[in-house]
Amino acid sequence: MLGSSARDARRTEIYLDGLLAAEERGASDAPLDLDVDPAVVFAARRLRADLIRPHPSFRFEEGLAYRLGLAANPAASLRALDAPAGAPEHAALDLGVPRLGPLSSKSARPLIVGGVASAISIGAVYVAWRWSRGSGSATAHAENAGKTEPGHSSGRGRRVLGGIFGVMS
Amino acid sequence: MSRPVLRSSQESPRTARLDRDRGLVEAARRDPANFDALYRKYLPQVYSFAYYELHDHHAAEDATERVFMQALAALPRFEERADSFAAPSGSGSDKQASTFRVWLFRIARNVIANERRRERRRPVAPLDEAYNLPAGGDVVEAAALREAGSVAWQAVARLPEDRRRAVVLRFVDEMSTAEIAEILGRSEGAVRVLLHRALRSVAADLRGGMN
Repeated sequence: MLGSSARDARRTEIYLDGLLAAEERGASDAPLDLDVDPAVVFAARRLRADLIRPHPSFRFEEGLAYRLGLAANPAASLRALDAPAGAPEHAALDLGVPRLGPLSSKSARPLIVGGVASAISIGAVYVAWRWSRGSGSATAHAENAGKTEPGHSSGRGRRVLGGIFGVMS
Repeated sequence: MSRPVLRSSQESPRTARLDRDRGLVEAARRDPANFDALYRKYLPQVYSFAYYELHDHHAAEDATERVFMQALAALPRFEERADSFAAPSGSGSDKQASTFRVWLFRIARNVIANERRRERRRPVAPLDEAYNLPAGGDVVEAAALREAGSVAWQAVARLPEDRRRAVVLRFVDEMSTAEIAEILGRSEGAVRVLLHRALRSVAADLRGGMN
């Protein structure tokens, strides 16, 4: 024999089942048992309408899929890192994992060469800028000459640039 | 919710629940790469459960990640069991039903409980603030949460822990009483009473706010 509290709770459950089912079939509301506490009906409708299901960011979703992919098949991910250039791709990690090209010495070298060349170019531009500022006016040149240590002159700048371009050529 | 089926064993026929994720689970067991389908299916539910419990976008993401990592690692040990779904509520069945979803949410409950224990050792932002802050997440999502749900959520947030969890699992994650009972480790009857009392409290809170 159910107590009144359990009986009310059971009625509430039936109403909630109806409410959720009604939404699934596109009905506006659930059939209402008149014995259901009106306060329960009020709160249930309000919560059903207002408590939304937040979704994580797309970035997080894809990032976690990637990490799960690595966890799901660590051997394959290690093989992918070790594979020589041009080798056929390993079995796919079907977890939305972005395919990374194999990191071999061949594929890494152009990156390093490119980086060194960029650094040299930036250095050359910087030295040329300093040199041109120094030679912009007679006053500025004199001020710079006064501030710099002995031997730092436009002639030194030319030698540096010459050295850099000599290396590059 | 799981689909009711008739058991074909020698026991007396009664309805039991078949895990509707059985195919996906078996595929993931054969090849863990197939876990992706389960992950995509349950990510929003697990994340929202964590978000409503932890009130913080980043904490919810961290917890969600741990849940799925643990689930992936433990998947070979997962056993689907249907017995207690078929048993009448309060029958004291010692077997726990375990559809994949229930199992996953049990992991989530434990991960979130650990996270909350850690939070208690750190300063925590007030709940109202947590609901109003975008927390660096999706601005649209945060705005939607603020505008549509903050009053209702604040009423839910003031509930005792068990009632709040039951409400979130019922209304946000759309679980049955039986599933919630398995996740919270309570009887179905106890969960029914939890939900009933929670709704009465929320109604009183919302009506009080209107006056």
